[in-house]
Amino acid sequence: MKKFFYILLLVTSLGGLVLSGCQKTYESVPLGQQTTLDLAFDSRDSLGKQAMSYLLTTYAQSFYSGHNRVSGNYMDAASDDAISSASGIPAVQAIATGAYSAASPNADDQWARDYAAIRNATVFSVYINRVPMNELLPNGQSARAAYRSEARFLRAWLYFDLLKRYGGIPLLGDSIRQITDNIQLPRNSFSDCVNYIVSECDNIKDSLRTAAMVNSSTYGRITQGAAMALKSQVLLYAASPLFNGGNIDGSNPLTGYTSFDGNRWKLAADAAKAVMDLGAYSLMPSFNDVFVMQAAPVGTNTESICWMQTGNDGHGVETNNAPVGYTSAGGNGITSPTQNLVDAYSTDSGYAITDPNAHYNGNNPYSNRDPRLSLTVFCNGSLWLNRSVQTYDGGLDKPGGSVQQTKTSYYMRKFMGAFESVNSNPPSYSNTCHDFIYYRYAGILLNYAEATNEFSGPSADVYNVLYALRKRAGILTGPDNTYGLKQGMTQDEMRVVIRNERRVEMAFEEQRFWDIRRWKIAAQVYNSAPLQGLDIQLSSGGQIFYNLVPVLTTIFRDPQMYLYPIPYSEVIKNNQMKQNPLW
Amino acid sequence: MNKLIIFLLTTLALLPGLAFSQARTVTGTVKDANGALAGATITEKGQPRNAVAADEHGKFRIVLRGGTNTLVVTYLNFQRQEVNVKREGDVQVIMQQSTQGMEESVVVGFGKKKRITNTGAVSSINADEIRDVPTSSVQNALAGKLPGFFTQQRSGQPGHDASDYYIRGVSSLNPDGNQPLIVVDDIEYTYDQLAQINVNEIESISILKDASTTAIYGIKGANGVLVVTTRRGAAGKPKFEVRLEGGGQAPVRTPKFLDSYRTAQLVNEAYKNDGIPPLFSQSDLDAFKSGSDPYGHPNVNWYKAINRPYSLQANSNLDISGGTSNVKYFISGGAFTQTGSIKNFSTNTDGVNSNYFYKRYNIRSNLDIQATKNLSLRLDATTRFGDINQPYAQNVIGNIYDFSKIHPYSAPFINPNGSYAYAFDTQNQLPTINAQLATQGYSRNRRTDFNVLLGITEKLDDITRGLSLIGRVAYASVEQNTLTLFRGFPPTYHYDPRDESYHLNTGVSTGGYTYGTYRTLGNTDLDNQRTNVQIYLNYERVFNTNHHVTSLLLWNQESYRVDEDATGAFEVSGQVPQKYRGYSLKLGYDYKQKYLIDFNAALNGSDRFQANKRNGIFPAVGVGWNLAKEDFFAKALPFANLFKLRATYGVVGSDVALGNQYLYNQVYNQGLVPYSFGQSAQPANVISEGALGNNNVTWEKSKKFDAGLDMNLFNDKVSVSADYFHEYRYDQLVTPGNTPLILGIGVSPSNVGITVNRGFEETVTYHDKVGQVQYSVGLVWSFAKNKIIYEAEAAPRYPWLAVTGHAINQPFGYKFIGFYSQADVNDPKVAKPVGSVAIQPGDLKYKDLNGDGFIDQNDITTIGKPNLPNTTIGLPIKIGYKGFDASVMFQGAFGYSLGLKGTAIEPFQGQFQPIHEKRWTPETAGSAEFPRLTSNPTTINSPTNYNSDFWVINAYYIRMKTVELSYILPRKWLPLKINNGRLYLSAYNLFTWSNVSKKYQQDPEVASNTAGDAYLAQRVINFGLQLGL
Repeated sequence: MKKFFYILLLVTSLGGLVLSGCQKTYESVPLGQQTTLDLAFDSRDSLGKQAMSYLLTTYAQSFYSGHNRVSGNYMDAASDDAISSASGIPAVQAIATGAYSAASPNADDQWARDYAAIRNATVFSVYINRVPMNELLPNGQSARAAYRSEARFLRAWLYFDLLKRYGGIPLLGDSIRQITDNIQLPRNSFSDCVNYIVSECDNIKDSLRTAAMVNSSTYGRITQGAAMALKSQVLLYAASPLFNGGNIDGSNPLTGYTSFDGNRWKLAADAAKAVMDLGAYSLMPSFNDVFVMQAAPVGTNTESICWMQTGNDGHGVETNNAPVGYTSAGGNGITSPTQNLVDAYSTDSGYAITDPNAHYNGNNPYSNRDPRLSLTVFCNGSLWLNRSVQTYDGGLDKPGGSVQQTKTSYYMRKFMGAFESVNSNPPSYSNTCHDFIYYRYAGILLNYAEATNEFSGPSADVYNVLYALRKRAGILTGPDNTYGLKQGMTQDEMRVVIRNERRVEMAFEEQRFWDIRRWKIAAQVYNSAPLQGLDIQLSSGGQIFYNLVPVLTTIFRDPQMYLYPIPYSEVIKNNQMKQNPLW
Repeated sequence: MNKLIIFLLTTLALLPGLAFSQARTVTGTVKDANGALAGATITEKGQPRNAVAADEHGKFRIVLRGGTNTLVVTYLNFQRQEVNVKREGDVQVIMQQSTQGMEESVVVGFGKKKRITNTGAVSSINADEIRDVPTSSVQNALAGKLPGFFTQQRSGQPGHDASDYYIRGVSSLNPDGNQPLIVVDDIEYTYDQLAQINVNEIESISILKDASTTAIYGIKGANGVLVVTTRRGAAGKPKFEVRLEGGGQAPVRTPKFLDSYRTAQLVNEAYKNDGIPPLFSQSDLDAFKSGSDPYGHPNVNWYKAINRPYSLQANSNLDISGGTSNVKYFISGGAFTQTGSIKNFSTNTDGVNSNYFYKRYNIRSNLDIQATKNLSLRLDATTRFGDINQPYAQNVIGNIYDFSKIHPYSAPFINPNGSYAYAFDTQNQLPTINAQLATQGYSRNRRTDFNVLLGITEKLDDITRGLSLIGRVAYASVEQNTLTLFRGFPPTYHYDPRDESYHLNTGVSTGGYTYGTYRTLGNTDLDNQRTNVQIYLNYERVFNTNHHVTSLLLWNQESYRVDEDATGAFEVSGQVPQKYRGYSLKLGYDYKQKYLIDFNAALNGSDRFQANKRNGIFPAVGVGWNLAKEDFFAKALPFANLFKLRATYGVVGSDVALGNQYLYNQVYNQGLVPYSFGQSAQPANVISEGALGNNNVTWEKSKKFDAGLDMNLFNDKVSVSADYFHEYRYDQLVTPGNTPLILGIGVSPSNVGITVNRGFEETVTYHDKVGQVQYSVGLVWSFAKNKIIYEAEAAPRYPWLAVTGHAINQPFGYKFIGFYSQADVNDPKVAKPVGSVAIQPGDLKYKDLNGDGFIDQNDITTIGKPNLPNTTIGLPIKIGYKGFDASVMFQGAFGYSLGLKGTAIEPFQGQFQPIHEKRWTPETAGSAEFPRLTSNPTTINSPTNYNSDFWVINAYYIRMKTVELSYILPRKWLPLKINNGRLYLSAYNLFTWSNVSKKYQQDPEVASNTAGDAYLAQRVINFGLQLGL
């Protein structure tokens, strides 16, 4: 029996040891990985610290910088304004040549990204109500309402980002769906989507900060002007031919309005006018400063309304896109603007180069041009880092061989700091602000001019907008103060002028790619002739020969490609999801 | 076993009486491959009662009474031997391990089972059989030896060469969900830990394959279990054993690249196809051909320039074992070193070793203490530590294959003035490979494993006979840190022989004018601990000599904390501990070893699931019938010693799934985004929503059925084990593929996947002897095939796009139907890829499955088979003659596919290879084996963009996996007190036959879809000496 006692002792002590030793590390409730909803939106946090972090994610997930966004290239390299200098077939070129399908979406497919960000924005806008924030705006309104409206702005902006790609898309509203909820949702009509985005903009605009309320710590937040600018942009698209009267699938409410309504241009014009009437924004005196200066009131940039904030983020734009001959400063010259774009710039007297009055000289093509040309495109002979750009065959910036270099004899200049002449030796770049601007005042003016011309013809208001833009660009006033603009144009003539003005003013700002679609001219733009560049030869006598060369044959399947395909995977997962026509 | 002892005792008791009869006395020694064998039984033939046992030195003395002059030597787990003793003198008997004797025990979970009474599907191997295989990782040595064991050795890099392995193939859709559980001395190990263990410390290895044997592991048992037991001491004088081995390694196959001349020709041809002016003039080509300008027109075979033909490895082990009746010990130390395949480029001045190498030291002490009559203790302590070294520029030897990094004509090996050159004609302009290796430093991974196990066994015979209580506490830790010694690129120059000028590299890979100084960076990148406590009651008893009962009741708790940083760049980050708790039950009964029944069950919990979904019961039952024990059967087939039918069925589980530790929780992620407000934007901390939790999530389950036959025929000369299995794996934790993206957030895995896995296995061994020559031949054959029944896949547009219905990891791609001809190119009706580079004659032509006139994603379908072989075979052949032993094992794998891309095969990405000379040209259109050459990486000819069955080939290989020759040295040759000695020569991966080599220059076991620049698989030839005293 004694033995049995020992055994009992052994068993109990061993068991006791084990249990006491392990109980502490064997929590019945897991302790790690417990950042949950209650912590993110804390009902005890009057500062809303975690919630503010959450909102930052929403910004970061929603906005993207367009600088070298698509496979290292600008989206505009998929339009007729530029091509990529990269070898092989960069993804951006696959868009211009139609090399995509529903199963292999193009590189700009934003479906998954945008819907992830939309959910994020909805989560914030719903749950922020749990957080008892007591911060107030300078005008005494609740800051929490402003933050909530920022998230709702981002969501509206994302729906527009989807709308211009895919047509009508599923609108998810304010519900935060869980695994068990029905997510087999149908697409909403194009009209519903426009109405929803516009009503969101209208609903939030008064609770947002005005541009003047922004201070150095809230710099970069969405303001009232941004919401109104988004509304202007959405209504402009909605009134445009692709959706208003030119629906590629006639009676399909997903791909556009099923009938034309001229009044939509009126709504677009009014929305743009509303931004202009705010009086908060104005054109910058210098075209280049628009892209490298921080926005007012903290910075000096009075033109920027809504942008993706990157700040003084270095010189990535310069090194990615500057001519390749600047080895010490760096330059990968990935963007090759086309001759098509260069030809769109007028002379400095405001006449198109095809106009006999322009006195354009094909043997000295870059002199006396619209000053925006040299601030947008590096041409052979442009000044950069204390020397002339050499894009003739064998020049420093077009050396031949396998190194990535221009395919058109042009490089992109826009968005770069003013590094024409620098003091450093060897010449180098300094950190520059590269905020990517979505909406700026010049764009709003162009929206207004276009919508007004379409609704009621070329009124004096339309002319005034163009005068203002051309004046700021540095185009000569001309003897009759018309900046080279023909007086008494017809609506059609004015349309051509406005579209060209938009092209040259907004080049590389992710406008042209969408503009040629909403104007429903993409088939003609892409399919009429190959894109062109120059082959520049320098004779031993110093004479320069400019030879036009085709650089890329673009392909646009009309009318299929006016809208992106809904990703194939999304269509097969959801019975309700209708594919776009012909995909 | 009991019978044997009784038999022995009685014979011994009779001995003194027998000694008086007039007879000859024979003395001798019994040995096995490892030296003296204590305890063998020596019986005079024809006189079954005249038997003696060998003493602890294997010596015996027997007085012959009959006239056969023949001794029969028997010992458990060894082959029976008859020895003719007509001649006078000392008799040396060398025993051969028997495979699959029916009394042989196999290790199963928490105990052992005799082959005769086992109902489950278990294969086991005595570690003696693999101890001579010259490889650092146990799993490599097991290839082909065990039925149902599938291996793939992906790399030959020292320290990283351990094979991936699976038991009965794969059946889970979970990428991580197919790893077998590894149990060493009843404690769980990780894959990495197993690769570190020294084979010399191992006693036996078993794999448990069916539900009956794995059910006690419950929630961790679904992928099979690999059970390792380590060696322990036996009572006796101290036994010292030393094994010293050294050998050379060389790649199984070396890549062949074209020289500069032929490369330049092909480059020109490709450029011509692409409409680009030729890169090389005729005079360039002439210079390459004649080699007249070694600096202006270099011709370097970078593979040969960097690698040496062989590298070395050495392995030393010392064991001491022995003990008294109260304390037994096994103490062992080992050192394993392996050098790398590249030449030594380190300079004399700094001596920095940037070569690959592996050094590993193992120490183990296994103690058994009999404290009282009933109480015994065991204390096992083991540690493993070592370094894995590799060049700082991690994939620098991959550059050898990479045409974009270096061409054969890029640069000379070294400039005439002794400075380093760089690949000036490439985009990155990297220094030459030798320059990087010589100057950039190393990355050295240091790892320390420590395990300790304390066990207490109390016999509770007082309560009831056969009952014992066992408790164990085990602790295992691994710490791994990486020391990096590095500096930037060296100064490199391009030498121009025309004016004998040197041009400094000022491009992106510039090293400036001077060498940088070395810097160091140290990081702990893995730190994990596992604590395991087990308490169990064991009961085993025979009632009325016929009723044999075994049972086990186990309580088991484990906490595993793994802190790691996958990138190796940061300090480790803490992870949530993983917790398990469970109860297991084992019940076994057999009647006269004739009718067998086993019941196993586990009640397990994993904290990955919600409390009410946490605990599961995993039951399994096994039955067996030893037909050979039936009289009718014994009469009808008297040659069958063992004929057993067995079947098992049960459920086991797995909680492995991607995602966070607590799958039911929605966890909000914390992170850093480069976004903030205010004038100067700084990255800021953010919170975002994580994958949606799933309250219903629970473990994955597998219903396993196994039917088997064990057979020993003709005096155990032939032994056969065969199994058929069927596994239905359901509730698999996979992320549903039909959740629309508009949800906007990821979802946790759900219990939706279903697969079926079926197959056969067979082991056949035949052993016999002719005169003094003993031999055995065997066949180990395994086949496993799986199929996806359901995985919540969205219904695809065309049926051929569906993954469901095919094997797990089935490759998809285009169907190759020839090369485009000029007529095809001109014919708009011939389908062409949408929007791609314009098709040219000689491009790969694929089938337009949906007939829409375009080749696009809708035209892909199943091509070939998964990368994991569905069939493996092993063919072991052994011959023994006196002290000589020879064995060879062939191992093969069939029924798998391999496709490589990028640097492995694509022109201008990889180096030009002989197969590129068989490209399509208008002249060779009929016989081409490769598409037309192009420098454009995005054409239809690129497997990266258009994977197809032109690239994914159905593969097989057969290797002469191991060869071993050994000789037991006669005692008289041995000096000093050395008791036994053995010399052996062993080889690994000696020859390989494979159809892979027709297309790819890589080893047939490299991972599919890779760039094929893995460290080359190695062939090893090794010489060893084993001494014991």
